[in-house]
Amino acid sequence: MTFAKTLAIAPDVMARQVGDETVLLHLASGGYFGLDAVGSRFWQLLGERRPFPEIVDVMLAEYDVRREDLERDLGRLIDELLKQSLVGEA
Amino acid sequence: MIGPVLHLHDAQPQAKLSQLPFHHWHSPAGHPWAEFYRVGDGYLLRFPQLADFEISADGKEVDARPAPGVQDSTVEHLFLNQATPLALSKQGKLVLHASAVEIEGTAVAFIGRSGRGKSTLAASFATHGIRFLTDDGLHLERVDGKIVCLPSHPSIRVWEDSKQALVPDTSMRAPPVEYTTKTRFLAGPEILFCNEPRPLRRIYSLGSGAAGEVTISRVRPAAALMDLVRNSFLLDIGEQEMLARHFDEISRLAALPIHFELDYPRRYEILSRVREAVVRHVTEDPS
Repeated sequence: MTFAKTLAIAPDVMARQVGDETVLLHLASGGYFGLDAVGSRFWQLLGERRPFPEIVDVMLAEYDVRREDLERDLGRLIDELLKQSLVGEA
Repeated sequence: MIGPVLHLHDAQPQAKLSQLPFHHWHSPAGHPWAEFYRVGDGYLLRFPQLADFEISADGKEVDARPAPGVQDSTVEHLFLNQATPLALSKQGKLVLHASAVEIEGTAVAFIGRSGRGKSTLAASFATHGIRFLTDDGLHLERVDGKIVCLPSHPSIRVWEDSKQALVPDTSMRAPPVEYTTKTRFLAGPEILFCNEPRPLRRIYSLGSGAAGEVTISRVRPAAALMDLVRNSFLLDIGEQEMLARHFDEISRLAALPIHFELDYPRRYEILSRVREAVVRHVTEDPS
């Protein structure tokens, strides 16, 4: 994952927030993917087309977490989202 | 359940098809159980060595052709339990792998994959004074903003051990079928059936049976949604518009505060406590 690049939600993905979590549906494959509360917030900010560094700054202000931990966790999430074709590089 | 129209044809050998199935189901033992083909603008649902069902594009008509030597009762069984819920999904209906019973004039559903005990639980209620709406294939409709559970075929299918433990010997039964040792009992004075729609009040997801006692716990909305995904009948997941509509519908359903997990040791002697716990849980909490 390259943090320098901006990510975009794939056009064939539906997302529905239920409670504080989100479930994604990849229409092309029929596959489903769950996001916890933190992942849901990331997804929301991604939907606002914000660049990754800005997303990190927003989430650091909202969550009690160290920058390196947040970047590592988001990096893993992004890798998984890319693998499932749920996001792509803008 | 308002199902598709069945046209039953004479038996004929299952012709080899030129294309590969776009989807298939396997039995729990890993054997091919059903194959899904797109044929013209409709579908062919094939149960190898048993029957072919051609489902029209709108899901309203089903042409059934048994394989040679297969009894009509087997075709009827497959039509009711497999082809009908799939055809309904093509009509845009929401059909879940769930049984349901009527408590205080409302529908209480038990969702779960095959083998979790949906039919056994429904049979347990239905033989102890509480009417069942379906033993599988729960058809839900939105009526005036409320979700309503429609009654299914008035019969209930149980394995031999459940039959011995729960169903009186005198109960009416349908003719046996070739592909399962389950017995299908017809509703009657000993197995009570509710033949009217009922508003949906609860969905209990049946746990694995690991619990040492009867336990009921709330399910997170996202977990409820994934449960609904896993337990929906869908004929064609490749049809994106329908898939999107289905996802919207089950997302709205998952957001309702009606989802719980029900777990209990899978022993027949404990079923009376399960029934009591469910009735108490439904009636003492009006939400």
